[in-house]
Amino acid sequence: MNIFLKPLLAASVLISSTSVGQAEDWAPPGPITMYVGFAAGGGADTQARLIAQGIEEKYGWTIIPQQLPGNSGLTLATELVKAPADGTAFGMVVSETLTYSAQAVGDPALQLDKFTALATTAEFQSGLVAMAGGAFDSWDKVKATAEAGTPIRFATASDRQADMAWHLGQKTGIDFNIVEVRGGAGVMDGLRGGDVDIGWVAGAQSKSVRQGEMTNIARGIKAPLADTPDAPAITDLGSDFYLDGYFMFIAPGGLDPVAREALGNAIRAVAEDSATEANALLTKGFGGPSIRTGEDLDAYMAEANAAAAALIKAVSE
Amino acid sequence: MTEMLHYVWLGILSVFQGPAILEIAGVGLPVALVMLVAGLITGIAVGATPGLAGPMAMAISLPLLISAFGFTPDALLPVFGFLIGIMKGATLGGAVPAILFNLPGTPDAMMTTLDGFPMAQRGQPRRALRIAQLSSVAGDTFSDLVLFICAPFLAVVVEAYLDLPEKTALLILSISFVAAVMGRSVGKGLLSVSLGLLVAYIATGNDLSPRLTLGFDVLQSGIPLIAAVLGVLIVGEIFATLERLWLDNHALDVIPVEKRSTQDGLQPGDIRRISPYVGRGAVIGALIGALPGVGSTLAATLSYTMAARRIKRHPQAQPLGTGAPEGIAATEAANSAVSGANLIPVLSLGIPGNAAAVFLILAADSIGGFNPGPGVFSMPDGALNPQLVTVFGIFTLMSLGNVLNWTVGGGVMRAMGGLAKIPATRLLPVVLLVSLTAIYVQETSMFAIWSTLAFGVLGWAMRKLAVPVLPFVIAFILAGPIERSAREAFAASGADPWFLFSSPTSVILLLLALAALMFLGRER
Repeated sequence: MNIFLKPLLAASVLISSTSVGQAEDWAPPGPITMYVGFAAGGGADTQARLIAQGIEEKYGWTIIPQQLPGNSGLTLATELVKAPADGTAFGMVVSETLTYSAQAVGDPALQLDKFTALATTAEFQSGLVAMAGGAFDSWDKVKATAEAGTPIRFATASDRQADMAWHLGQKTGIDFNIVEVRGGAGVMDGLRGGDVDIGWVAGAQSKSVRQGEMTNIARGIKAPLADTPDAPAITDLGSDFYLDGYFMFIAPGGLDPVAREALGNAIRAVAEDSATEANALLTKGFGGPSIRTGEDLDAYMAEANAAAAALIKAVSE
Repeated sequence: MTEMLHYVWLGILSVFQGPAILEIAGVGLPVALVMLVAGLITGIAVGATPGLAGPMAMAISLPLLISAFGFTPDALLPVFGFLIGIMKGATLGGAVPAILFNLPGTPDAMMTTLDGFPMAQRGQPRRALRIAQLSSVAGDTFSDLVLFICAPFLAVVVEAYLDLPEKTALLILSISFVAAVMGRSVGKGLLSVSLGLLVAYIATGNDLSPRLTLGFDVLQSGIPLIAAVLGVLIVGEIFATLERLWLDNHALDVIPVEKRSTQDGLQPGDIRRISPYVGRGAVIGALIGALPGVGSTLAATLSYTMAARRIKRHPQAQPLGTGAPEGIAATEAANSAVSGANLIPVLSLGIPGNAAAVFLILAADSIGGFNPGPGVFSMPDGALNPQLVTVFGIFTLMSLGNVLNWTVGGGVMRAMGGLAKIPATRLLPVVLLVSLTAIYVQETSMFAIWSTLAFGVLGWAMRKLAVPVLPFVIAFILAGPIERSAREAFAASGADPWFLFSSPTSVILLLLALAALMFLGRER
């Protein structure tokens, strides 16, 4: 270590240790572009816009939303990775965009390490959903029908969900006809129209389940589902993996830790403040805000990335 | 049945108890109603202006409406109110310049000039306008009633009897039919449909790496729907009209009529004279309107020709083409009766049949929360289907629009008489600028502007080569549903490559598609 590097190192230690105080003073160097990886008008889009609106009101920063939907969030990732890493660009996706989808498409420029995770906003309430009172409203019925030789049509809304359906079929010995449809709404429309029999829905089923139209025959997440607490976990049925995930904000890689902390704190402050519209929406439609930031979030993303790799390996064997 | 009536009631309430725009003496004025009236007046004005048409006004106002009302379900009825107002107003307004200046305000008012203008020249412009109004509104009202009765019925039948393969076959039939009946030849229709599908398939589909982008990052999100539709349909039309004016500066000039006789206004016996022609025109219009792709111009022509043939059999009657009220009535009743029935395939199947329907689908698609298709009419147990409430809200707005057309429509029509004198050379650049601004407001990207202009050039070229543009747009909109239902049908059948031929219904639908291409195109 030479004489020039020593003070530099000391300075950098000093800077990182004082970053807590600096985050409060941080402000974006210009208007922020917020990319939204979901179709305009949907629940996720509204969520992103309300959080942006809350940040504008609380902090006085300018946020300009821009739609970039498609390819499970990768369209957004392709654009965001080119944006300046100074806090003036971030985007809303789901955690599986940077884990499963990025790995599945295999583009090195779009992997998890090329991005900075800012904050999650809500956790998936994934369930295996069927029409209530129908021929498939419990796992036993699904199993019995499959054993009787009737093909079961399993609706999924993303490649990861399709892999999870395939994996579940492998583990339980059922050869599902896996039907990829558009979004959770597409799964539910398919169930209603009788075009499919069962399907994954990541949270949009909540209202229909509470009204008794549909039911969660199994849960895709670790914790019990709020609407159907006694639905068995898919890991109890035989799956090695959960279908968990978060709605989250991401920024280009190499974002200054101060900016990262400031943006993460801003998102948390808006989402957890019960006086904001964003909080009301998260509570009503997404099972309540679930904010993870910083190292806690990095740890989750690393874990999810490893699980995605294992899932991809498991289904390609 | 009682459940259905409950939905009807909720639909009516959703219009009157929706968000209020302002309160007068403690009573809120519902915003949907205000938008309907505004749309109606705009529509009549636009219809009365040669060079502008209803779809053009709908196209320009849609992005502005969406940026004003947002993407919430609350936005649906106000936006639909305005668009339906334009649709209804434009069919009425198209007759104004046709009668007063021998210049059809909308293409389907061409036949109105044949009798309307001679009548006006004889000094009875008011009488001609009044006859046009009565016939037009009668046709429209009849058509709406057909829609109210048929759409839910058709949707229920489709949902109950059509599985995924049959739905795919039905969509294939629709675009084949559109390709066959629009334009001069089946080949050109198919070309237009294929182009629409090709463009729509850029960067869509299920794969994680977007297809057909040729490595251009801007194409990763696909072509913006509004850019393609407005480009081909509206900007292309503006380019074509500007070119026509450039070649002949007086192509759209008006011939004013100043003479006015004392015997103007509706004559005794007029109503009895025109009623049978209005009735027949309305039936023809509604029948034709229910088929996708066959427009109001054909309905008007057919109805007028039939009326002319009928009149010839009575030697003492006034022949058509000399200012006979029967001619105006037959044309206006038929071209107006198309608009309601045209929404039957839109609401029950999600298949647009004409340009106006395209923009209603576009509105539903942009706002979200309302997906035209059989699912709209489902009545789930123990849950409320908000889409069905919206449908009855739309029906309520349509009925109110008719009431307004009956009562105040005539007055507005007369007031708009002067609009035809605005020179198109001034008007069209303004329309072009407003369209592009509106697109930028919705898409907030320059790429959308450039692609709109590019599609405008495509639309102009298609017009030059007599390739019909509407099949392009309809195919562009239906491309997604066709691919999705085909994929889903393929997957649900356990990857059976012959899924399209798995049931008699779907085979029959495919044979019909083939028959449409083989036989319907031959007549032209």
